[in-house]
Amino acid sequence: MTEQTPAKNVNRIAAAVVVVALFVLPFVLSQMGRTGEYWIWVTTEMLIMGLFALSLNLILGYGGMVSFGHAAFFGVGAYTVALLMKKAGAPLVLALTAAPIAAAIVAAVVGWFCVRLIGLYFAILTLAFGQLLYMIVFQWYTFTGGDDGIHGIPRPEFLGPANFYLFCLILFLACIFVMRMIVNSPFGLTIRTIRENMERAKFIGINVRRYQWYNFIIAGAFAGLAGGLFTELNRFAQTEFLHWSRSAEPILASLVGGMYSLIGPAVGSAVLIFLKIVLQQLHPGLVETWAIILGLVLLAVVLFAPDGLVGIFQKAFGKSGDASS
Amino acid sequence: MAEYILSIENLSKSFEGSQVFNDVGFALTEGELSSIIGPNGAGKTTLFNLITGYHVPDGGKIMFRGKNIAGKEPYEIVRLGIARAFQRTNIFPRMSVLDNVVTTIISAQRRSLNLVRPFSNMKRVHARAYELLDSVGLADMAARQSGTLAHGNQKRLDIAVALALEPKLLLLDEPTAGMSPEERWQTVELVQRLWETLKVTMLFIEHDMDIVFGISQTVRVLCYKTLLAEGTPREISANQQVIEAYLGEEV
Amino acid sequence: MTKEYYIFMFVNGLSQGMLLFIIASGLSLVFGVLRVINFAHGSLYMIGAFLAYSLSTVLTQGTLWSFLLTLLLIPPAVAVVGLFLEVTLFRRVYREEHLLQLLLTYALVLILDDVVRVIWGGDPRNVARPEVLGGAVDFMGMALPTYNVFILFLGPVIALGLWYLLHKTRAGSIIRAAVSFPDTLGALGVNVSWVMTATFMLGCWLAGVGGVLMASLANIDLGIGMEKIIECFAVVVIGGLGSVGGALLGSLIIGVGVSYFQLPLGRWALVFPYLVMALVLIWRPWGLFGKPER
Repeated sequence: MTEQTPAKNVNRIAAAVVVVALFVLPFVLSQMGRTGEYWIWVTTEMLIMGLFALSLNLILGYGGMVSFGHAAFFGVGAYTVALLMKKAGAPLVLALTAAPIAAAIVAAVVGWFCVRLIGLYFAILTLAFGQLLYMIVFQWYTFTGGDDGIHGIPRPEFLGPANFYLFCLILFLACIFVMRMIVNSPFGLTIRTIRENMERAKFIGINVRRYQWYNFIIAGAFAGLAGGLFTELNRFAQTEFLHWSRSAEPILASLVGGMYSLIGPAVGSAVLIFLKIVLQQLHPGLVETWAIILGLVLLAVVLFAPDGLVGIFQKAFGKSGDASS
Repeated sequence: MAEYILSIENLSKSFEGSQVFNDVGFALTEGELSSIIGPNGAGKTTLFNLITGYHVPDGGKIMFRGKNIAGKEPYEIVRLGIARAFQRTNIFPRMSVLDNVVTTIISAQRRSLNLVRPFSNMKRVHARAYELLDSVGLADMAARQSGTLAHGNQKRLDIAVALALEPKLLLLDEPTAGMSPEERWQTVELVQRLWETLKVTMLFIEHDMDIVFGISQTVRVLCYKTLLAEGTPREISANQQVIEAYLGEEV
Repeated sequence: MTKEYYIFMFVNGLSQGMLLFIIASGLSLVFGVLRVINFAHGSLYMIGAFLAYSLSTVLTQGTLWSFLLTLLLIPPAVAVVGLFLEVTLFRRVYREEHLLQLLLTYALVLILDDVVRVIWGGDPRNVARPEVLGGAVDFMGMALPTYNVFILFLGPVIALGLWYLLHKTRAGSIIRAAVSFPDTLGALGVNVSWVMTATFMLGCWLAGVGGVLMASLANIDLGIGMEKIIECFAVVVIGGLGSVGGALLGSLIIGVGVSYFQLPLGRWALVFPYLVMALVLIWRPWGLFGKPER
């Protein structure tokens, strides 16, 4: 769509307002003492997990490939930052540059196998490879610390909670900008073409496997960056980052937020984190059953709202569900 | 040999032990408009699947412009210049009519790997897409979601997508299947007009004998695993073997 | 290492493979009829194992009759869980996209695995073997655990039973027809949704049998469901979905392979199934028994 519709202008203004609000947020929250600091932490987590969900949606929503092993790339990014900063004493910027690169390399190897299979088998393989990486990190005690994880990752002094939030926000927006560019490029169109009709795509001269592979690598790289940031936020990395149940969160976020929209998954992710906090406030025991709750929400979405909340919204307001924005 | 754009030699293929083709061979002259007929299950669509790389032949050669393409991947064969339109509508349903063609043009120009430039700003690609849609009569539906088009229009879009690849050889699998008589003749006119203006070699599968004998220069009859006959419409309609084996029931 | 050791590990691997086959055949059967790959199959197997543990705590441990009672009661209990899941959930998505089916069974894994954690906790458990099967049998001068030998023989018995059910009974011919001609079956007056429910229950029953056998074979903990489902996937990648012979061969390859790799690799032997999967995918991406498709 090249024409400027009024709806598009409204969207732009809304986006600008949200971005400004996100930048102002830490300054407001930092006036609120400990509660404010807690919420700065939470919103930082929302940004990071939002980025994770967006990365998955490049393959899930745009590519139509269901991956159950995406946490592996998040974990590779996390451990790259942890190992480089703790063991090699590398500066944060270097570690955060290495995280997506390492994740992309691992995604390239894993993806090379996975894209040879489609649909069902693809999902099976992603789960298996994700579990394999989990086991490697778990077993390789001397390198990764195994079950203990890696703790005490340094943080540059100028990056206090508020500044780290702003740092993450800038990276988050930069990633959205890049993803938007990718999605709207010929490559993005090609990926959607494959999603729509894989067999036909071959007959318009598209090397389907190759494009799915590239997309898988790109998604892995963004997940790696998210993982690296998450390690820096928590100042530790642990095997749980790669656990298969972690891969469920971005899937659910994408479903809740809407698979066929660019930022929907990030919104969905924020909703999930907020839900987790609400549950914790209601009863600490509820968080113990987080996986059950995630599963139940996932069931409900699958059975009753397969297009996600954004889908419901779009249906209600009569917009089309296509993924160009 | 040079004037042949496609020549098939000793082609054989079987599925799960049952043979579909045994030693099939024929050649297409550059620029001809010809058809393939044969009873149901004679393997007409399978022949297209073999030529376009969807199936791998068990034996034989498929020479396209001097190169053996047997066993190559579909996308490689498309890039060499063979496009096909499908018997069952086969488009990208949740994309707009325009984007169906745009993505194909981008692929044909080998620009799909561009990650930076918005495809919606590619002016010449869009101009070309409108031109193609215009040639099949779909220009005013460009913004529609393609899955919502009527059956006949989806088949036209399928043809536009195939044309967007600027093929040297175009394979049409029952271009009029499932259409009303009126739509059929519109489509036949379209096919004939495209052939005249684009000078592309066309090979189509068709059941309607009026259409087959009306527009083809050459007719080939597939029957019982082999090529039963080939010749001009006049020769075929007079061929005793063909009449016995196939046409007899209808003519 | 001695020759005896290798034979020992081989027999051990074969019995592991038989156990895997019992579980994987359930997964494959369900896929054949329902066209849904049930990611929660491993969770059902785990539930079977933990139920066996719970039952054993109220029975006299280590007697033959308590073992047989467990083997008699628990698999049907798992099948009843399957009945509930099929009727309330699976039935709603048969006509939906693959994507939604995948997500549904994945959601079930999340829920069931965590329910097991909440009920039984994370500590490893096991069930004492019955005395009769607790000892060792003498084989070419070696002492093989009787229990492993028992599983080794039970596997083929169950395989034969399945074969008999599928090929010699009316129910079986309906199930096989449901695999080959799902659309025409309804027209013949067969209640297709009942066939699907029954098949799903049979698949869950097999998972339950696997769970009961596992509970006395080794320690059971929260990881066994995921571990086993991935082994099942490896079997499926090797043998192709829906091929019983392929499932058997795949199971034995994985079982024996893991067993042998335990010597040089220790815990790393668990990587073996992935290795096989990777190799098969390089060599024959469509599986050893599958056909190439484009």
